Amino acid sequence: MRTVIPDQLKVQLRYPARAVGLAGAAAMVASVFLPWSYGHEALDDVGFTGLPSPLQFVFLILPIAILALLGIPLVGKAKLGRWAKIVAWNTTAKTASLGALATVVVALAAIAIELGGLVNIETGGWLALVGAILAAAATVFLPDSPEPTLSRVKSPRWLQITAIVVVMAIVLFGSAYALGMDDAGAFLTLAALLVGIILTLRQFGVFGWLGIASANNNRVLVMSAFVVAFAFPFTQNGSNANMSIAAQVLIFAATALGLNIVVGLVGLLDLGYIAFLGAGAFTAAVLSDSAFATINFHPPFIVTVLIAGTVSSLLGLMIGAPTLRVSGDYLAIVTLAFGEIFRISMLNLDGSDGPNITHGSAGIPGIPDLNLFGFDFGQAHIIAGIEIGRFANYFWLMLLVMALIILVFTNINHSRIGRGWVAIREDEMAAEAMGVNTFALKLLAFAGGAFLAGIAGAIKAHHDVSVTPEQYVFLESAFLLAAVVLGGMGTVSGVLIGAVILKVLPEKLRFFSDYRLLLFGLLMILMMRFRPEGIIADERRQLEFHDDDEELADEIEEELITHHAHLNPERKGFEL
Amino acid sequence: MNERPEVSREVLLDARNVTMQFGGLRAVNDVSLQVHTGEIVGLIGPNGAGKTTFFNCLTGLYQPTSGAVEFAGQALPPKPRLVVRAGMARTFQNIRLFHNMTAIENVMVGMYSRTKTNAIDAILRLPRHRREEEESTQRAKDLLEFVGLTGSGDSLSRNLPYGDQRRLEIARALATDPQLLLLDEPTAGMNPQETRQAEELIFKIRDLGLAVLVIEHDMRFIFNLCDRVACLVRGAVLVEGPPAVVQNDPRVIEAYIGMPANDVAAKPTAATEEDADA
Amino acid sequence: MELFFQQLINGLSLGALYALVAVGYTVVYGIVQLINFAHGEIFMIGAFGAYATWVLMGSPSDWTATTSLLVLLPMMIIGGMVASVATALATERFAYRPLRGAPRLAPLISAIGVSVFLQELVRLFFGKIPGMPDAKSSVPFPDIAGISGATITLGGVIIQMPAIFTLAALAVSTVFLWYFVNRTKTGRAMVATSQDPDTARLMGINVDRVIMAAFAVGAALAAIAGVAHGLMNGNIGFRMGFLAGLKAFTAAVLGGIGNINGAVVGGLVLGLAEAMASNYLGTTAWKDVWAFVLLILVLVFRPQGLLGAKVVDRA
Repeated sequence: MRTVIPDQLKVQLRYPARAVGLAGAAAMVASVFLPWSYGHEALDDVGFTGLPSPLQFVFLILPIAILALLGIPLVGKAKLGRWAKIVAWNTTAKTASLGALATVVVALAAIAIELGGLVNIETGGWLALVGAILAAAATVFLPDSPEPTLSRVKSPRWLQITAIVVVMAIVLFGSAYALGMDDAGAFLTLAALLVGIILTLRQFGVFGWLGIASANNNRVLVMSAFVVAFAFPFTQNGSNANMSIAAQVLIFAATALGLNIVVGLVGLLDLGYIAFLGAGAFTAAVLSDSAFATINFHPPFIVTVLIAGTVSSLLGLMIGAPTLRVSGDYLAIVTLAFGEIFRISMLNLDGSDGPNITHGSAGIPGIPDLNLFGFDFGQAHIIAGIEIGRFANYFWLMLLVMALIILVFTNINHSRIGRGWVAIREDEMAAEAMGVNTFALKLLAFAGGAFLAGIAGAIKAHHDVSVTPEQYVFLESAFLLAAVVLGGMGTVSGVLIGAVILKVLPEKLRFFSDYRLLLFGLLMILMMRFRPEGIIADERRQLEFHDDDEELADEIEEELITHHAHLNPERKGFEL
Repeated sequence: MNERPEVSREVLLDARNVTMQFGGLRAVNDVSLQVHTGEIVGLIGPNGAGKTTFFNCLTGLYQPTSGAVEFAGQALPPKPRLVVRAGMARTFQNIRLFHNMTAIENVMVGMYSRTKTNAIDAILRLPRHRREEEESTQRAKDLLEFVGLTGSGDSLSRNLPYGDQRRLEIARALATDPQLLLLDEPTAGMNPQETRQAEELIFKIRDLGLAVLVIEHDMRFIFNLCDRVACLVRGAVLVEGPPAVVQNDPRVIEAYIGMPANDVAAKPTAATEEDADA
Repeated sequence: MELFFQQLINGLSLGALYALVAVGYTVVYGIVQLINFAHGEIFMIGAFGAYATWVLMGSPSDWTATTSLLVLLPMMIIGGMVASVATALATERFAYRPLRGAPRLAPLISAIGVSVFLQELVRLFFGKIPGMPDAKSSVPFPDIAGISGATITLGGVIIQMPAIFTLAALAVSTVFLWYFVNRTKTGRAMVATSQDPDTARLMGINVDRVIMAAFAVGAALAAIAGVAHGLMNGNIGFRMGFLAGLKAFTAAVLGGIGNINGAVVGGLVLGLAEAMASNYLGTTAWKDVWAFVLLILVLVFRPQGLLGAKVVDRA
């Protein structure tokens, strides 16, 4: 963040500014022990004296961080030793203060809206606001610190692994806590707070360090992420509300990951991707034991899922083989048209306009729960004293599918095929002139992505109980694309984050659900303009979108070389 | 002058009466050219003479309007990637590296047609795939060393100096395991020292047993380098023969000196060559 | 035979509608090689602009045919044009212009964002404008005396007046477009820019202005199409741009994208093909499918379109 305040002024004001900042942070700390609102209804109860709510406890992180960041340098540069340079003390304090200010503003606005007016804000709330304004105003006047070098600090392996595990545990309990909130104001406040904390940590250099730590311990990272995801149902105490959202998020994320192969890795814009999910779902539905199934062949699900994937990928071949030879723009439109063809066909295969396969707009209801090897997905189970319900079963199954998709995604990406895809994205003609079979590689991505979507669709059919054509419209394709764009084209973690944001926010913020498409449209425009590489950037994608940024190119090269020094090549990717 | 080893005179590339017509414009007119194994052949000619268009006809980018191209006794396949498989690789006049990939990755893309890992091998990380990846990486490193880019393997190709980018493009072409290497103006934009290094590199490539066909503007470079030189003017071969002969041919001198840049006849052809690269 | 002529008229009027929208795709693509996904929404906003103008004029319902045709309808068309041209210029300025020179994926994705955004904008906020009805479901388009519901009979074939209006609008627009492209400075600058943007810039053509002109011309024709759609179908809705846009793009590809005459021919051919196919190949339920199958076939076998594109693919 750059300010227009002259450096000289900053140097002159550094002591008073620091004092004001410390006072502001202290005021914020004090405020959590005072009630923020009259009554106990707002923000999951912030009305107690002396007893902060869980939300307020989390909020405490920011003022305490500001106290530390502003206070510790007072002991003097000499005593700090190398830490003086490792941490960007002042800029981090500024980020933390601005984050705290944003959080307090959201919290007070939420109180005012929920309880009907600013009069409902109590002393604590005002004190927090004053403190946050003081801290923010003061830290803006502090001289900027140099870039933090924490990421270059060498650390023992056990510390890195512990850090990864701790982060994962925080993610688990944090997401369980966040999903458990049903108060929109509290949820938004927490969201603001989390963004503030994350930005502060980033400014502190934690992410750079964690990035290297996780690159060094890739397997630990992936394993612990899966363990955390696996453990998630146990935090829900048998409640189905959140598990249903979680299972939906995974289906959505798995489909988005499949789309990410096509869009993110090969750079082909597929606007009818939802049709492949739909093809899988309809295939599974007509082959299921539903009373409305139209085909009198009911194989076990293992077979069904393969048929579903195959049907989807055959459709992918049918649409891709003729059109992948023409330019990418045309492909986008053709896939869009294909999505419409699919939807209209599903509507028309109702017995009057065509053979009866789908029952038209009514679709196929009553699809029974899955039963794999005698395990009934509709049945709740008690594990370790906690009830694991229907949605948790599907959640775990989707987790497996997700693991499969990530495996496919990462391992192909780190092979000659993946290199061929990048080459196609960079310069298709040169790739062809170097012997790369560009057409086959594009077709592979297209049909492969469709196969994965077909699998996800087959599970979705059983999870949703019914399949109708209106679930598979263009807006859903746009929505999937938004997840890929928001999260980061070509990355796994980015798309997971994008999918979670796009699915969870509308669930938690009901008042916002009517505006969700409007905001997503706007989001896509803004992302393309300001951060086309997404939240989590794939390095190469980032370079492609910022073609003339030489500094970025140098930075990324340096990163590549450091990472390479830690990694031996075969450690990229995962093994079965 | 370099000592030239005796080579067996086996015809590797045989282009007969190649003509390329763009609408009313005949960019390449009835050109015949042979390249033998282990031979360095130069292709010179003023701007817009049709040299790059001829290259594109040889590498499957264009289908000649008439005429035939044979490579190692077989008719040339009609697609660039099949031409690469057959054993002919090229570089580009305006460098076309994959500029957001590292040097080593660029070279490994060149090995695409010589490697076999399929999607299943890669997904399951079968030993076959890992062995091939290891071999590819090693070979890419060797090739980088061969062209003099030791230690630059992890550099993004866009960050490499200009001369190194040209060498990387040669390494990438060599990675396709060609019998014939086509170089399109390999010394364009180079200083005399880099030009000398390029010359040495091309000799080294010839000494591996490869044939080389070079397009160049730099007369001294080409006459020093080549066993045989063909001079292309307005799409047709004007003279062909040993450097000494071509060098002193009055028609060649006239084509270069007597054809100032504002010559009208050369202009439309120049536009086509740009199109060819677009 | 009468049925055939009936279908001929239906097909031609539908085709005229597609053609009017298709011009917008083709002009913009010819100059910036961008498939403006949001162009269908520009068409939709043109229809809503015309509707809003009608409301602003006091929702007149008892005007005579003469005043309706000479005052009301032209005012509505102008109102629609103002709305759609303003929207098109705004999207060009804020969503596309900053992305010139970015990888081609970026403006495409941005265009999808614009498309979704504009649909939702109308759905959520049109009703919030004082005096306007809620647009969350379809809105009945006003009756224009002399056109709505009127027919003429020609040799036993009954022709709906809205169809005549659409065909006439296409004819007039084509003449204007021809004049604009061939006889005005901006039009000729447009042609020059589509052929070689760099040289055009060197020759002193303000490329930004030319691009804006392309968006504006396309939007103006789309607004006329929006009014025609309202008259032919009797109602308008926030979703109407999606399918119409897709069809119009098909028409543009059919005629050879980048080729203005091609867009007109392509539109008419597509409209006819749709009318004939649904008449002779079974029910109307599949007519959209035929249109898209046609799109795919054209892309495969004749990507340069029926009349040949000026620019096939400059990527």
